[in-house]
Amino acid sequence: MKLVVNGQQVDSKDGLTVNELLAEQDVKMPEMVSVEVNGRILKRSEFEAKRLSEGDAVEFLYFMGGGHGTE
Amino acid sequence: MKGDTLGIHGGFRVDSVTGATAAPIYQTVSYAHKSAQGLAEVFDGKSPGYLYTRLSNPTTTALELRLAELEDGIGCIATSSGMAAIASAAMGLLRAGDEILAAAGIFGGTVSLFENTLGRFGVTTRFVDAGITEQFAEAVSERTRLVFIETIGNPRMDVPDIPAVADIAHSVNIPLVVDNTVTTPFLIKPGEFGADIVVHSTSKFINGHGTAIGGAVIDTGNYDWAKGRFEDIRKVSEGMGKTAFLAHLRNLIYRDLGGCAAPMNSFLMLQGLETLGVRMAKHCINAKELAGYLRSHRRVGWVNYPGLGESSFSDRVVKLFDGRGGGLLTFSLVDKERAFGFIDCLRLAKNLANLGDAKTLVIHPSSTIFHEFSAEQQVRMGVTDDMVRVSVGIEDFEDIRGDFEQALEKTFEAGK
Repeated sequence: MKLVVNGQQVDSKDGLTVNELLAEQDVKMPEMVSVEVNGRILKRSEFEAKRLSEGDAVEFLYFMGGGHGTE
Repeated sequence: MKGDTLGIHGGFRVDSVTGATAAPIYQTVSYAHKSAQGLAEVFDGKSPGYLYTRLSNPTTTALELRLAELEDGIGCIATSSGMAAIASAAMGLLRAGDEILAAAGIFGGTVSLFENTLGRFGVTTRFVDAGITEQFAEAVSERTRLVFIETIGNPRMDVPDIPAVADIAHSVNIPLVVDNTVTTPFLIKPGEFGADIVVHSTSKFINGHGTAIGGAVIDTGNYDWAKGRFEDIRKVSEGMGKTAFLAHLRNLIYRDLGGCAAPMNSFLMLQGLETLGVRMAKHCINAKELAGYLRSHRRVGWVNYPGLGESSFSDRVVKLFDGRGGGLLTFSLVDKERAFGFIDCLRLAKNLANLGDAKTLVIHPSSTIFHEFSAEQQVRMGVTDDMVRVSVGIEDFEDIRGDFEQALEKTFEAGK
């Protein structure tokens, strides 16, 4: 299935979970990431069970602080 | 997972390197990176990583994740104190010319921050009676950018109708900030009742042992920053979505104010959270018992505890806190002289400026926390000369009652 991850189209296996996507995308510091799916921030407890669907827009967000970061 | 479990396991399970079950204390200022390019990418926000403990720290991260889970929020920033948390949240929202709409009977330090410190930067604050919801509706204006309440006003002990106040704030597209220090997520998750931002002084019940100062800001995820009235945060939301406010704090306000949590203190807060559920239950039981005892004592003028059935806020205590009135109460002892005399006669309870400790604590608010406020301001805040505040601890209740009984007897002995 196709997902939009951080604005980029990505091909993934059907029905993968958020945790599986984090591993598949080799997301850095997964314990720190906030995951937004179609505009909703998931609770961390949802990462294991939440299955993604065709066309879902997924954003990996970190607010742990950089120099000027996103400002 | 339920609160009692999250308090123990939330945010940190075991250390991935050593298997340690307590969160390691990362007592470090900074973090080495393997390459200049790698460090530059973290600074630029292109890659996650730890840079400097004023911004983030792994021990503090564990605390932030645990608090966010307990409050059912989307994220948390831990601060050096409760005042640093409120200052960060307020300064993240306000500009010169803006107004705060706040409950009147709240912590004196918060009142001073709003009136005095932020007042110096062109912010004005309107104070209203937290118990009278209509006053919020009347006072909210086009200039309001922040509505602030405490779940239970300290020391006024009034309980705002949080969902109704949230509706008023949202009617003008303004976030409701709720201080959940005295109730903690074990009595209420304000986000479930419409709050947008939750702040804590973690020094109180969360720490629970009077051993560390700290605070926290939690975004409940209720406020849509992309459509909000804060232009700079709207801009941040283009890249950071729902976490825009937390990113705005972390990357600008919190970073620049410098009120970061100390790693050792974050560890102590994590320890406190492990037992918070059982402690809060005992605080509530003991406080209700003590309120009942004092109410029936012939020398006590009045008792203000929202958990008492006759309290004008008892319906809200049932609706918001599942009937649990918290660990804080105030009572009257005729005048300042008797109040001082009573405090001096206590043997077990400690006379000090703090609350939420496992130990029973007392203070005479008028001459201490609120001493710099005028008599008129004190009345607005619900502070009177005859009033003693008690933070009821988790000792055996019979020992607390015995201490109060002997102190009351001595205070009024020989017909005083």
